[in-house]
Amino acid sequence: MLRKFGEMTATSTTFGEASFPTPFRGGLEYSPPARGTWNIVHTGMLLPEAHQIFVCAAGCLRGVVLTAAEMGLSDRFSTVAVREDDILNGDTEEKIIEGVADIIGKLDRRPPAVLLFTSCVHHFIGSDLAAVFASLKKRFPDIDFTDCYMDPIMRKSGLNPDQKMRRQLYSLLRPTEKDPNTVAIIGGDLPTDGDSFLKRTLSANGINVVEIHDCKNYSDYQSLAKASLFLTTYPSAKAAGDALEKRLGTEHIHIPFSFDYDEIEKGLLKVFSRFGIGDVDFSTMRAECAKALSDLKKVIDDTEIAIDSSAFTRPLGLARLLLDCGFNVTAVYADSFSACEKNDFDHMGEHYPNVTLWPTISPSMRQKPTVGSSKVLAIGQKAAYFQSTDRFVDIVENGGLYDHHAVIKLCALMKEAFSSPKNTKKLIQIKGWGCSSCH
Amino acid sequence: MIKIAVYGKGGIGKSTTVSNVAAALSEMGLRVMQIGCDPKADSTYLLHGKDSVPTVLDLVRKKGDDITLEEMVTVGYGDVICVEAGGPTPGMGCAGRGIITALEKLDSKGSIDRFRPDVVFYDVLGDVVCGGFSMPMRPGYADKIIIITSGENMSLHAARNIATAVDNFRERGYASLAGIILNKRNVKDEVEKTSRLASDIGTPVIGIIERSETVIEAEEIPATVVAAFPESDCAEGYREIARSIISICEVKEC
Repeated sequence: MLRKFGEMTATSTTFGEASFPTPFRGGLEYSPPARGTWNIVHTGMLLPEAHQIFVCAAGCLRGVVLTAAEMGLSDRFSTVAVREDDILNGDTEEKIIEGVADIIGKLDRRPPAVLLFTSCVHHFIGSDLAAVFASLKKRFPDIDFTDCYMDPIMRKSGLNPDQKMRRQLYSLLRPTEKDPNTVAIIGGDLPTDGDSFLKRTLSANGINVVEIHDCKNYSDYQSLAKASLFLTTYPSAKAAGDALEKRLGTEHIHIPFSFDYDEIEKGLLKVFSRFGIGDVDFSTMRAECAKALSDLKKVIDDTEIAIDSSAFTRPLGLARLLLDCGFNVTAVYADSFSACEKNDFDHMGEHYPNVTLWPTISPSMRQKPTVGSSKVLAIGQKAAYFQSTDRFVDIVENGGLYDHHAVIKLCALMKEAFSSPKNTKKLIQIKGWGCSSCH
Repeated sequence: MIKIAVYGKGGIGKSTTVSNVAAALSEMGLRVMQIGCDPKADSTYLLHGKDSVPTVLDLVRKKGDDITLEEMVTVGYGDVICVEAGGPTPGMGCAGRGIITALEKLDSKGSIDRFRPDVVFYDVLGDVVCGGFSMPMRPGYADKIIIITSGENMSLHAARNIATAVDNFRERGYASLAGIILNKRNVKDEVEKTSRLASDIGTPVIGIIERSETVIEAEEIPATVVAAFPESDCAEGYREIARSIISICEVKEC
């Protein structure tokens, strides 16, 4: 029987009762008006001087067109609209080739690279994209083309669009002579925090750490291939590192973001030992973390805390850390968990079974449930929205933070958020936190 | 390794011919893989004799990415590796998309590296009606195409259309035509008409299969003629075609 959304009750569970890794039933999905996470256009724009071309049905182009416009980068963005006739005529390949050629011919400046996004319809009908790219490369030998994807219907199997986008962003790196003292951190939308123990230690030992965010032009981008080691810290970036290792023969180490000191240090030691950096003392960093958490506790005391999974890739690790330190985490907003969060999930169930767990994409969440008070301190935009609080840490996708310093910096951000309310509505509707559209 | 896609009008005897040739090749000591690209999933029936085998798409529907190569294959007569792509419910969904998904899944699971066949047959449903049905002739899949036809006009018409599709895709580096097999229906001027078509499209007739009750008898078992009636003239005919294919098709290293 059909029911109006207004009649639906938002469904939560508790960690004592929730199942792993998908605590809520799937189905129709809702998108809360918290837009800070990046989309494929934002990520693609990280490739300097490159031009993005989306080939898709006009109705689906709306979102990506707006993103490019919001970024003020419409001059690096074009579209080719696919119509029904193109499918009936069976010339989707020609349409892509001629569309791209037309766009390139009309650009004021010839781009060194083109990110060519094909969409569900091409993949569904089996357009021969290999032939398309071969033709374009032959026709424009001075331009590097890479295949990117806007195919939400394919997202339930294999690599998802987010993982593919990060992989393809680095797919144009050409083999070059490697510099043994250069490390490239790849795959994150945001630059890695310069204060992180990882970056500071590598720099102090003469290791040059480079990222796509430092690249001013396409030549700079190509110089990333000089790295003798690729590091990935963002989970969705692992496929990018693996692909580069296979293609360029450059070692890749995945050291995922974590709030667990043992896991952080294990990853750091793996990297440091690669460069012969020994005798690493983490006790100072751990002490600094403890002090930051203690100072924070004095300020916010038993304030209710809500966390959402768009803020950090380890929302359960964060909840666990804060709860173990005596903070009052009352709610977590997440729709599913990655395998690496199993231990934290079990810990939450065993020690904090009454903490509530809320979905973010369930249609029932459209009727924003009032579950806390405006005094709640939220970590993440979605938690802030659902809790109707103006005290929140405005951050997405780990915010570029890493290792022990992520804990220290987050404590500072929580203190600031507690004492300085924000205009939540205004901030969370801006797409692509930390990219040029936010400025 | 020789990779061959077999096309032809529906009901013309593609699966029967491919299965018999596969059986004959296996007798020659070659490791053969036969991939049925038809939602009916009956391409390899004569090789394994089972009423139903798990299709790739059935497995994808049930288990998503968690399927193994071993689950996707059935070993048939002469250790021929049998795979059925499967497809949607008849009258629903998209058979072409089904073929794309199944072939990509086999590819992603490394089927060629794992089984290292000497000969791979893609037994494709009917004509090249959409992008999905051209998938087996794309780079990375078949290198050669064989068209099976009878001397009936509709079958010859379909064969000509297939040849046109192959020609259209030549610049894309798709598989090239290796030849035509005539599966006789004993219609008037059958050999001449087929030879004329072959000449028109610039390809040889690499074999002629005489109409034989032996084929029907073997299908009743169910088995290939090569397995059920190995001493028959009909079986020898399939062996001859198998030898022709080996001599005509370019041999590529794995």
